[in-house]
Amino acid sequence: MKKFSNRYIFIYSAVLVAVSALILTLVSTSLKPRQERNQAAEKKQMILKTIGVEATRDNADELYDQYITEKYLSDGSSLLTFDGGIIIPLQGTGLWGPIWGYLALDDENTVLGAVFDHKGETPGLGGEIATDNFAKRFVGKSFLQPIVLKKNADKSSPYEVDAISGGTMTSNGVTAMLAKAYDKYGCLAVDSTAADNTEECKETDK
Amino acid sequence: MKNFDLIKLPFNKQNPITVQVLGVCSCLAVTAQLKPAVVMAVSVTVVVALANLIISLLRNTIPPRIRIIVQLVVVSTLVVLVDQFLKAYMYDVSKQLSVFVGLIITNCIVMGRLEAFAMSNPPLPSLCDGIGNGLGYSVILVTLGFVRELFGSGSLWGYPIAEKLGLYGIGYENNGLMIMPPMALILAGIIIWIQRTRNKDLQED
Repeated sequence: MKKFSNRYIFIYSAVLVAVSALILTLVSTSLKPRQERNQAAEKKQMILKTIGVEATRDNADELYDQYITEKYLSDGSSLLTFDGGIIIPLQGTGLWGPIWGYLALDDENTVLGAVFDHKGETPGLGGEIATDNFAKRFVGKSFLQPIVLKKNADKSSPYEVDAISGGTMTSNGVTAMLAKAYDKYGCLAVDSTAADNTEECKETDK
Repeated sequence: MKNFDLIKLPFNKQNPITVQVLGVCSCLAVTAQLKPAVVMAVSVTVVVALANLIISLLRNTIPPRIRIIVQLVVVSTLVVLVDQFLKAYMYDVSKQLSVFVGLIITNCIVMGRLEAFAMSNPPLPSLCDGIGNGLGYSVILVTLGFVRELFGSGSLWGYPIAEKLGLYGIGYENNGLMIMPPMALILAGIIIWIQRTRNKDLQED
């Protein structure tokens, strides 16, 4: 077997790693715009899905402009609205990483549609939150109170949704995410014109 | 002829999954549907073929003491490239495969072929060996994906066959077990069973 000096080994690994890094940087930089476009389109697809509009990545932009308008609140933040209500963004943490989603609420804070996604929850367990089946459980629930995910949820209760079996940590994350969103947006939807006067946003009754 | 044998052998007597028992983990994970199975199969074939070629070209310059690290650097570079391309051009598929693309790096087939073949053979046979093993892996993956999607979800490549044929109307139901990972193991077991029944020299005592 050929003998290699230590010096050779060091130089060899340094060059190898440098070449590999160069190739990766070039490819990543050149593909980035395309990847970001995909992500932006996916976000719009998700938002459209909450109001029942199925968009493909190609027509997402167009449909989004058609159905969704962005309103600016007095505090400078923005709110997505559609004809009939608002769409609130959800952001939280699951078991392994970030989870997020959108809720479409009508002007009585009833959930018209929901959609969730995750970065790296376990497929088949926590990852189930990204399925239509899970999202459907939220339709018709009320956001006058934070919606809670629990085991054996009372289906007739407007504030309870069945959690995912085997996905307790992710389910808890979704509950926390909904509570956080409720703090921020819970009172907005009751009067969809309230987008202009957030300070008048009042305690909602049960 | 010899190179052709290298491509042909992994389909049967040297199949990476059913005979070498490499890459079983990913074969359970990504075969619930046909599409991710095909994409995974293509990705692994590309990676193992290119990695074999590159390592074979470098084989006389690689110091034995760091050969595993060199192999890992080459494989991970290729895998990250595949991942980036999928994200840019096949976004949905890349989302479905999520962590499994990254896991090609640890797929035993890749490292196994590099160590066993590419380190000691010239580039062309190595390339053929890589393609052969990639395709041998693909055959099993696609077969499992086909069976599992057809009977588990009643569709193929996302096209709802059972629904279009009106099977649900006459009481047909999808087999929920099919989409669970254990069923992939059982199906792979059945394939191994059939293969060994037909190839006596593969049978162990």
